[in-house]
Amino acid sequence: MEAPRRLLPETEDIDTRGFWEGTRQGELRLLECSSCGAILHMPSAYCHDCGSWDTRWKTISNLGRLHSWTVVHHQVHPGFPTPYTVVLVDVDDAPGARLVGYLDGAPALVCGQAMRARFEVLSDEVTLAQWDPA
Amino acid sequence: MTDEAFSHRDRCAIAGIATTDFSRNSGRSDLTLALQASLAAIDDAGLVPGDIDGIVRCDLDLVRHNDLVHGLGIGDLAYMGDVSVGGVAPCAMVGQAVAAILAGMAKNVLVFRSLNGRSGRRYGRSSATQRTVGGNNTYDEFFAPYGLLTSGQIFALIAQRHMAEFGTTENELAQIALTCRARANANPGAQMHDRQLTIDDYLESRMIASPLRLFDFCLETDGACAVVVTSAERAKDGPQRPALIRAVAQGSPRNPQPGVQFPVLMRETITTLPAKATADRLYARAGMGPDEIDVAQLYDCFSITVLLQLEDFGFCAKGEGGPFVASGAIDLGGAIPINTSGGHLSDGYVHGMSHIVEAVRQIRGTSTSQVDGAETCLVTSTPLPPGSALILRAI
Repeated sequence: MEAPRRLLPETEDIDTRGFWEGTRQGELRLLECSSCGAILHMPSAYCHDCGSWDTRWKTISNLGRLHSWTVVHHQVHPGFPTPYTVVLVDVDDAPGARLVGYLDGAPALVCGQAMRARFEVLSDEVTLAQWDPA
Repeated sequence: MTDEAFSHRDRCAIAGIATTDFSRNSGRSDLTLALQASLAAIDDAGLVPGDIDGIVRCDLDLVRHNDLVHGLGIGDLAYMGDVSVGGVAPCAMVGQAVAAILAGMAKNVLVFRSLNGRSGRRYGRSSATQRTVGGNNTYDEFFAPYGLLTSGQIFALIAQRHMAEFGTTENELAQIALTCRARANANPGAQMHDRQLTIDDYLESRMIASPLRLFDFCLETDGACAVVVTSAERAKDGPQRPALIRAVAQGSPRNPQPGVQFPVLMRETITTLPAKATADRLYARAGMGPDEIDVAQLYDCFSITVLLQLEDFGFCAKGEGGPFVASGAIDLGGAIPINTSGGHLSDGYVHGMSHIVEAVRQIRGTSTSQVDGAETCLVTSTPLPPGSALILRAI
């Protein structure tokens, strides 16, 4: 029997594809306003802080801190057998931006602990940024 | 804001209410449920279907305006409104009815919500049915591939953060589930009427998404609710004691984040809901504050959602929701009794609409857990995206 299949991200969305171009290169990239430097995450073509339409993808460090987490015990999707852990990470280089990651099982975690990004290659097109305790 | 003369204050009322039975398998279509609740609410208001000239529906409802216009035999409908999204809609739906009435676009507006939420489409399940997810400004690509798939998991992340920041405990969360269950035990119509819940039952229940357990989750439910909104003058001529709509408001936080629900985890603080912005506007419009609210029906998709709203609506300080509920403040006889029908946690989850019905019962004095002398009742529809809320009062 075929193993249950993971969900894959749409990597060609016009507003968000720069993030996935970055992960394929082994880099974390978030959208930045070229005029005022605000991080636009979720990515947006327009800066709501200064009104600029000029944006660029900025490579940031792979470090962050754990904002919160949950251990999922009740399975809702065949591609995600339980238990597993979802982590929500404050990105060090981009105040206000958070990214989500998946960890197997139920590791011991505490809010505020240091986390480091790891790149999980799922296919030629798709690399996920994951987060491990640093 | 010129809150002293706010223009909709007390000018409209809820004149009729009804619910169907709440169950895990209604055996009826969403439309049949909607027709049953609507006919009963119209009758409760002392009206006939032909008196209804406006309908406001929720965008997630499968039942459309034409379905009800045809099904009820209404004929020419003057006003049709849609409100988004899901559990955010109910109080805003009443608000849209008020706006239509005061603008002269309709006289008697039916507001309804109908869903087979257990036997039909279940919101507790992942909505990811294709292998590739996201795009088109859903932003799901940043969440679902990591196994973040449901509203309950979002609120689990929020609850964990609230525990880390403020020391909130599972015993405190339990008090919300136990309080709602005690109200359901007094309500023969509640799905959990015959099921006792103890603190040991709660602590021994299975974890769904830590720190949230089975009893922190609402009851996926089949059922429908409807109310009839009309002018205060017309309501006074009806057979029921009118529930005046003191004020209604919608709100959203600064930089609320786009998308339907998952991007709310990118907000500056995840432990404050849009309830805060909604509350500030609602109280200003009502010319009231939390001290003047006698009883509240708080949107309880999850226990933690109630705790956050108690803080956001000013019943206790930020971060003190845990000790507040543990003190008995939300119990009958407490500072602010909540969810007197049993709420979504123990009565039935009709996406906030059942809370409006129960609020009217409190104003009429007919709740199965009646708060003595209740003259004002707060209702909230403030889960994750934006929010809406209203205050009812007795004449």
